[in-house]
Amino acid sequence: MLVCLLPAAVIGAAVGFAAAADPGAATSGIIWCGLVGAAAVAVAGFEAVRRGRALELAREEAARREAEQRHRLARQQEGMLELARDELPRAVARMQGGEFITDVLRSYEQQHVNNAGDEFHDFRYAVLRAVLDAVDNEEAMRESAQRAFVNIARRVQAIVHRQAIDLRKMEDRHGDDPAVFDDLLVIDHGNALIGRLADSIAVLGGARPGRQWNNPVPLYSVLRGGMSRILDFRRVELHPVSEVAVVGPAVEPLIHALAELLDNATRYSPPQTSVHLTAVEVQTGIAIEIEDGGLSLGEEGRARAERMLAEAESGIDLNGLGEAPRLGLAVVGRLARSYGFQVSLRPSAYGGVRAVLIVPDVYITTAPAPSRAHGIGRIATTTPLAFPSHPGQPDNEAYPAGSGSADTPPRPHPAAATHTPAGGFAAAAAFPSGGAFPSGGAFPHAVPAPSAPQAPYAPAAPSAPAAPPAPYEDEVPLVLERTANGLPQRRRHAAPSRFGAAAAPRTSQPAPSPAAPAPVAQPAPVPQTPAPEPVQPGLWLAAFTNGVNGTPPTAGPDGGSRASDEAAGKGDK
Amino acid sequence: MSNQDWADANPERLYVISGGRDRKSATAGFDLVTLVVARARPEPTMQPEHAAILRICSSPLSVAEISAYLRLPNSLVTVLLADLLAERRIEVRAPVPPAALPDLSLLEAVIHGLQRL
Repeated sequence: MLVCLLPAAVIGAAVGFAAAADPGAATSGIIWCGLVGAAAVAVAGFEAVRRGRALELAREEAARREAEQRHRLARQQEGMLELARDELPRAVARMQGGEFITDVLRSYEQQHVNNAGDEFHDFRYAVLRAVLDAVDNEEAMRESAQRAFVNIARRVQAIVHRQAIDLRKMEDRHGDDPAVFDDLLVIDHGNALIGRLADSIAVLGGARPGRQWNNPVPLYSVLRGGMSRILDFRRVELHPVSEVAVVGPAVEPLIHALAELLDNATRYSPPQTSVHLTAVEVQTGIAIEIEDGGLSLGEEGRARAERMLAEAESGIDLNGLGEAPRLGLAVVGRLARSYGFQVSLRPSAYGGVRAVLIVPDVYITTAPAPSRAHGIGRIATTTPLAFPSHPGQPDNEAYPAGSGSADTPPRPHPAAATHTPAGGFAAAAAFPSGGAFPSGGAFPHAVPAPSAPQAPYAPAAPSAPAAPPAPYEDEVPLVLERTANGLPQRRRHAAPSRFGAAAAPRTSQPAPSPAAPAPVAQPAPVPQTPAPEPVQPGLWLAAFTNGVNGTPPTAGPDGGSRASDEAAGKGDK
Repeated sequence: MSNQDWADANPERLYVISGGRDRKSATAGFDLVTLVVARARPEPTMQPEHAAILRICSSPLSVAEISAYLRLPNSLVTVLLADLLAERRIEVRAPVPPAALPDLSLLEAVIHGLQRL
């Protein structure tokens, strides 16, 4: 405060000095002027100091404000950063994981309940909400796109399946005509390839691969099923596998995954190499190995493949498949995730890739499967059809009975029992006792349809070896007709005249086809073909073999061709 | 109908069973009535269809019968039989060649002669 008086004091001193130095008339005027000037300066000085103070205060205030603003800015930045880096992705992930938008927003609010008054919080909330809405829409659109995908794939699958059934019928019908048959097989193969593609689309769309199987299917059939869906199945060498079956629900995904792995293996290995397919039992289930002799998968390539598998396991992005999609591994990964298969790709000792797919224990059953490979146990296959009320289980019990009465040493293959020639068909007839020939009606005991069950299954099993075989063995080869299932049935006693008519002309069989003159290699012509035992499946051909061995012929060519047609199984038509 | 189809069908198609070979490869000469008899016992390492053929052919069966029992088309069975034949696991007997049979005119002559008696 004194500072502002200093100029005034200096002026006062100067005025006093001037008045003292020059006393006279002007002295009083000088003094007055000096006093006024000093006062004015003092006032000015005082004002200047006051303003300086005020300015200082204002500056301080401004600095404080600025600091505060900076702080707020930093806080907001931090908040935005957190939102962008942390909360938004988390919320979007939760949305993609299937949570509802309201849930996600509510949990966000709860997290930030303490800074609810913050105006920036509200803005952030609004941003989050807008983004999540967009994500929600996107998800809905993607889902509907996927549904459309799956829907189309399902339609293709239905057509392919229909086609496959029709083709199988045609193959049966034209089995006698090699040219047509071979062409049908080609079409059938192409059809299966289309089916695989449709299955892949369905799987990528998040649905099941395709058809469902009700009954367990033998592993061997499953492996061959996988082979039948790839282009180059001729190169796949299927090694013998253990006799287990795959439970119904896992059959289709397993076939499909195997088909994709096999397709990869055959596609990325030289065409002259073969691909080895085998299955072994391991602690946790069945390990199916697919080994090719192609280019080895480098560490980088393997990492990429495994990453693809892993990505597929965590949900797949259809956009990520790219222009030329390599669906195979993505599909395998998807299936592996859904069904708990473990898939690994390793370098193979052959130089190529070894893919190992482990099927968990829960999908494996050792019970004999009702549905079997072609040619093994096809007769048994018809049983569940005839008795829809007895699916699976009674069959399984029936197998031991069959092998018992068959009087043959039990073979490793469970199906062997039903097909041993001596007692095989007797046994097959014995266990359902009308089940194997349910609809033929020619069988005296055949009680068609569901009233039969109590008789055939339970009692037949234990007592089969003792009593029943005798009558059955006598009766089994009688029928020479077709059941509804296309199974041949013989009738000898029941239709003796017909059999006689059929057998006699056959002896004269003039071999209508001109190409026939013994072109078949004859390593050693069967010397005495007549069956040694009375109840052989081939017995009724005794007349034929007699004729072959010299008994004079008795009828014309017409009968012969008719008989052969009959034997060829025209019943398929 | 469709349910039955689904329950009945097999995952494997016929071309896989035949191994992709067609009939032209080696099977000319098998006839529906060609007799087949097994020379060997089925082995566990064999393809199930081969084993099944050996099993049911321990007494002679015609190709047509085998095809009916296995419920496989003839053409396919002949492919399988050709495999087995190549491995000498079966023996086959061709149907009687026409040349081995008496001529039709001879038969007629005999009949006429008999009638004239």
